[in-house]
Amino acid sequence: MILIAIILGCVIGAIIGVNMPMISYTYSGYLAIAIIAALDSVFGGIASTLNKNFDLKIFVTGFFGNAILSILLTYLGQKLNVDIYLAAIVVFVGRMFNNLAIIRRYYIEKFSKERVKKEKKEKKKVEES
Amino acid sequence: MKKRQIAITLGIMCFILTIAICVQIKTMNSASSTVSQTLADNGLRDEVLRMKERYDNTYRELENAQKELEQVRQEATQNDETAEAKEQELKENNMLLGNIDVRGEGVQIDLQDAAETSSTLNAADQIVHYDDIQWIVNELKNAGAEAIEVNGERIVNTTSITCEGNIIKINGERIGSPFCIKAIGSQSLLYGGLERAGSYMDYLRERGLIAEVKKVDDITIAKYSGVISYEYLKEDK
Repeated sequence: MILIAIILGCVIGAIIGVNMPMISYTYSGYLAIAIIAALDSVFGGIASTLNKNFDLKIFVTGFFGNAILSILLTYLGQKLNVDIYLAAIVVFVGRMFNNLAIIRRYYIEKFSKERVKKEKKEKKKVEES
Repeated sequence: MKKRQIAITLGIMCFILTIAICVQIKTMNSASSTVSQTLADNGLRDEVLRMKERYDNTYRELENAQKELEQVRQEATQNDETAEAKEQELKENNMLLGNIDVRGEGVQIDLQDAAETSSTLNAADQIVHYDDIQWIVNELKNAGAEAIEVNGERIVNTTSITCEGNIIKINGERIGSPFCIKAIGSQSLLYGGLERAGSYMDYLRERGLIAEVKKVDDITIAKYSGVISYEYLKEDK
C-alpha cells in the first residue's frame, strides 16, 4: 500500500514536473538544498513506518520545516560568506544513510526470518516422513 | 485506517519531491551546457548567468515602460485633433529613427564565408570583412532602402560597422558569419542596384563567398535595441 502510494506520487510528480516552468537560476541553489532536506524527511518517514513509530505531525512538520530551515540557513550563509549549505548537506545526507541502513536491516531481518521458518518446516517434513 | 493515512502522506510528499527534482534538473540542464570542475569557474559562471538574468529582466522592464508610455500618449491625444497629428508625426519620426519595428517589401541578402577554401584564391579574400558589409549597406542606401538590418542589428544614425580582429561589431554588438542583411524599400530598385553587372555582389562571388539576394514580399525589421542620446546638440534658430 505504502509502496504503491510512493510510486504513484513519484510518477505523477515526474509528469507534472517535466511540464513545469523553469525557475530562475538564482534560486536553483536553494531549491537543491530543499530537495535534499525533503528527501531526508521521506526516507525518515519510511524508516519510522517500518519501526511502527510513525507520527504524522512530526513527519509533515519535518518535511516542510527542514526544507524551509535549510533554505534560510543557505541564504544566511550566502550573506555571511560561509558555506552553511555544506553543513546542511552533511547532516541530511548522513541521516539519509542512517535511515537507509534502518530500512535495509529491516528487510534483511524479515527475509532471513522467513528463511529460517522455511528451513524448520522442511526439517519437520523430513522428520515426519 | 492509519496505514492509509501514512500512505497518502508519503505519496503526497513524494509527489512534491519529484516535482522539485524535475524542475531543478530542468533548470540545471538549461543553465550549464559546460560544467566546470573548479569552484572558481563555477562561481564566475554563476555570476555571468545572474548578470544575464538581471539584464534580461531590466530589458523587459524597459520594454514594458515603453509600451506604457505609448499608451499614455495615446490616451492623452485621444480627443484632440492637433495632438493626434503630433502623435502621428512622432510615430513617423520614431519609425524613421529606427525606434519601432517596421515591415514592408524588400530584399534579403545572405552572405557567408567561402564554403571550401580554394588554394588559388587568397585566404583573406574568402572571408567576409567589415568593409564588405559597409559596401552592401551603402549600396542599399544608395538604392533607396528605408530600413536596414544586419543580423538583427538595425542600422541607425549612430551605427558603426567596425572590424574587431576576427569579428565584426555593429552597434557595439558582435556579429559573425553567416550574415543576413535585410532591407525594406522598392524591391526592384534594391534588387537591381545589388545585382547589376559588375556590382559588388559579383565581386564577392568572384572571391568565392556565398552571396545571395532574395526578393521578399514581407520583411519585418526589429527596432534598434540601444538608446540614441545627445549631449551637445542644440537647435540653431
